Amino acid sequence: MTNNAIGYVLKTADKKVVSNIEGNNMETGILSTLIKNCTLTGKIKADFLVFEVDEGYIPVVFQDFPLDTLVILDFFRDQLDRNGEVETLILKINEFLKTYNNNLILNSDDPNVSRLGKANPDNKNIYYFSVDRYKYATKEQKEAGEGKFCPFCKTRLEYEYYQYSHIGKFKCPNCDYGNNPIYKLATNVDLNSRTFDVDNITYKIRFNSIYNIYNLTAVIACTSLYNIDTDIVKNALSKFVLNNGRLEEVNIKGVPTIINLAKNPTGSNVSLRILNEDDDEKELLFVLNDNIADGFDVSWIWDIDFSNLNNVSRIITSGKRAYDIAIRIKTSGFDANKIEPYLNLHDAVQNLYKTNIKKYIIANYTALQPTRKELKL
Amino acid sequence: MEEKFLNILYLYPDMLELYGDYGNIQVLKYRLEKRGFKVNIASYSIGDEEPNFKDFDIIFAGGGADQEQSILSEDLLKYKNKIKEAIDDGVFFLLICGAYQLFGKYYKGVDGNIIPGLDIFPYYTESISDRKKRCIGNIVLNVNLNDKETKVIGFENHGGQTYDIDTPFGTVLFGNGNKFGDSVEGFFLKNVIATYLHGPLLSKNPELTDYIIKYSLDRKYNENTILKPLDDSFENLCREQLLNRFLNSNSPS
Ligand SMILES: [Zn+2]
Repeated sequence: MTNNAIGYVLKTADKKVVSNIEGNNMETGILSTLIKNCTLTGKIKADFLVFEVDEGYIPVVFQDFPLDTLVILDFFRDQLDRNGEVETLILKINEFLKTYNNNLILNSDDPNVSRLGKANPDNKNIYYFSVDRYKYATKEQKEAGEGKFCPFCKTRLEYEYYQYSHIGKFKCPNCDYGNNPIYKLATNVDLNSRTFDVDNITYKIRFNSIYNIYNLTAVIACTSLYNIDTDIVKNALSKFVLNNGRLEEVNIKGVPTIINLAKNPTGSNVSLRILNEDDDEKELLFVLNDNIADGFDVSWIWDIDFSNLNNVSRIITSGKRAYDIAIRIKTSGFDANKIEPYLNLHDAVQNLYKTNIKKYIIANYTALQPTRKELKL
Repeated sequence: MEEKFLNILYLYPDMLELYGDYGNIQVLKYRLEKRGFKVNIASYSIGDEEPNFKDFDIIFAGGGADQEQSILSEDLLKYKNKIKEAIDDGVFFLLICGAYQLFGKYYKGVDGNIIPGLDIFPYYTESISDRKKRCIGNIVLNVNLNDKETKVIGFENHGGQTYDIDTPFGTVLFGNGNKFGDSVEGFFLKNVIATYLHGPLLSKNPELTDYIIKYSLDRKYNENTILKPLDDSFENLCREQLLNRFLNSNSPS
C-alpha cells in the first residue's frame, strides 16, 4: 500500500515511475517488472523506481540496484514464526544496514523497526516518523504483539500508550532506547473526518485506520526527501485509494460494504479496529480458508481481538474453516445465536444480504478473490 | 450457596504466547462461566513475584520461540521443587509444545546446545539437524479419557522429536506425533496433559476440556461434579467436517 502511495504521489508530481505489483516483491518479481519497462538496449526510462521488497530480499535488491531510500514500516510475527524467524530477519537486515549510508526512513513507534537506526552510527541519513497518540490508543496492549523487551539490554520496555498491537510510544527504562529525533510527526489524527496534520499541513485522506495513517506518514517523509511540493502530496493523498480488497469500500445492492484482506491477526485486528470505531449498526462476514497459500494452521484466529464488538448485530462465517472461526467468535463472548456459519460461500453471501444493514467483510488470502467474485466485483 | 470457582495460572504469557495457545484458557473460562462457575486467571512471568503453585487448580503454559526457551528454562528451574509438589498434589497441568518439552529432562537444539528441562517427567527432546524439517500439519489422536475413547483434533508444528514416553496422551490417527511418523503423541498422567497440539487444543475438543474441568472441580470440592451440557453445535459441526476431511481422504491437508 505504501509502495503504491509513494508511486501515486510521484506520478501526481509528473514523474515517470516504475513500480512492482503488490505481492510481486521477491527478486524475480522485481526483475520482471524492470524487464517489462526497459528499452531494447536495456535502459530503463524512469525518474523513480519504487519497489515493495520482501523483507528477506532487501540486501539482495539493494546489491543489484542503486536505490537510495529504504522505508521500513513494521515487523510482525506471522503465523509460522515458531523458530523466531522474524528476529532472524531483523538481524539480517540490521547486518545489511551496518554498511548502508543512504536514506533510511523508520517507524519510530515500532521497537522492532526503530532499533535498525542504530545499525550504522555513521549514517547521517536516518529519518524517523511517528504518529501522535490517537483517540483509540490504549494504556494496555490490546492485541498480541512483539517488542516486549529492549533489543539492546533485554529490559522490559515501558509503553506510555499503544496505538495498535505493539506500535506505540515506548522507551527502555534502562538504556533510554526509544528516544529518537522525529523527522515527520503526524498529529491531530481524526479517523472520522479522515484527516491528520504533518508540519502544520492538514492531509485529508481516503482511509480511516491508524495503520494507514502510519503508512501515509511514511509516504510524506519519503516524498519530502525528494522535495516534492507539499501541495502536490496533499492533493495526491486526497485521491489515493486501493481497489483490491484492501479496505475496499463498495455498495452491494445499495448496502455500504467494506472489504478487507486479513492474512494474520494484525490485519484482522486492523479491520476490527475500523469496525469498532464506526458506531453504525453492522453485520460482519468472516471468510477463512486453510489452503496452502493461507497456511494450514488457522490457530492465529485466536490472536484476533473479537471482544466488545461495537454495534454488530450478526456475524456470518464462511470458507473451509467457517466453523473454526465461529467457535472462536463465540468463545470471545459474542452471542452464539447471532453467528451463522456456512461452509458454502455462495450461501454465506446470500444470507449476508438478506438485510440492508451495513456490512464489513474480512477474508483471508485465498478467500478474498472468491468473496469479491461472489459479490460480483 | 457459595459460588464455586477455579484458579488458573498462565505461565509466561508474554513469552509462550505463539499461535493462539492462550485460546485454551479462553475456552476453559467460557465453558466454566456458561455453567455458572467463576474463573480467576493469574499470570506469572520473569520478574514477577513467585506464585504459590499449589493455590491453583489449573496451570497452563504454551509454546514459544527457541531463543526464548532458554531464558525461560533458567527461570522455571528455580521453581522445580514447588512445581513438582503441585503436580503430586494433583493440580492440573496443561502444557503445550515448548512447555511440554521443558517439563522433560532436556531439549537439545539444532546446534547441539542443551536446554535443561525441569526433569519432572522422564522424556527428553532432540531437534533434528535440518532446521527446515518440522512435523507440521493437522493431527488427529485417539485419546482415552476416564475409559472413554474420544478423538482429539489439533495442529502440530515442532522440530523437536520427543523420546522415552511410556504414557502418551493419545495414539495418532492422522499426522506425526512425538516424532516423525510416530504412533503416539504427547504425555499423559491423570492430572497432566503435555502435548504438541495447537489449534488451540481445547477449541475443537469440548470433551477434553470438560475432562479437565470435571477433574479440577471434583478435586477442589471433593465431589462428583455433574457438568451441565452446553450447546456444542459449532464444535460438533467443526469436528464432523474436519474428521471427515482428515481421516477419510488421502490428501495431506
Ligand atoms: Zn535498553
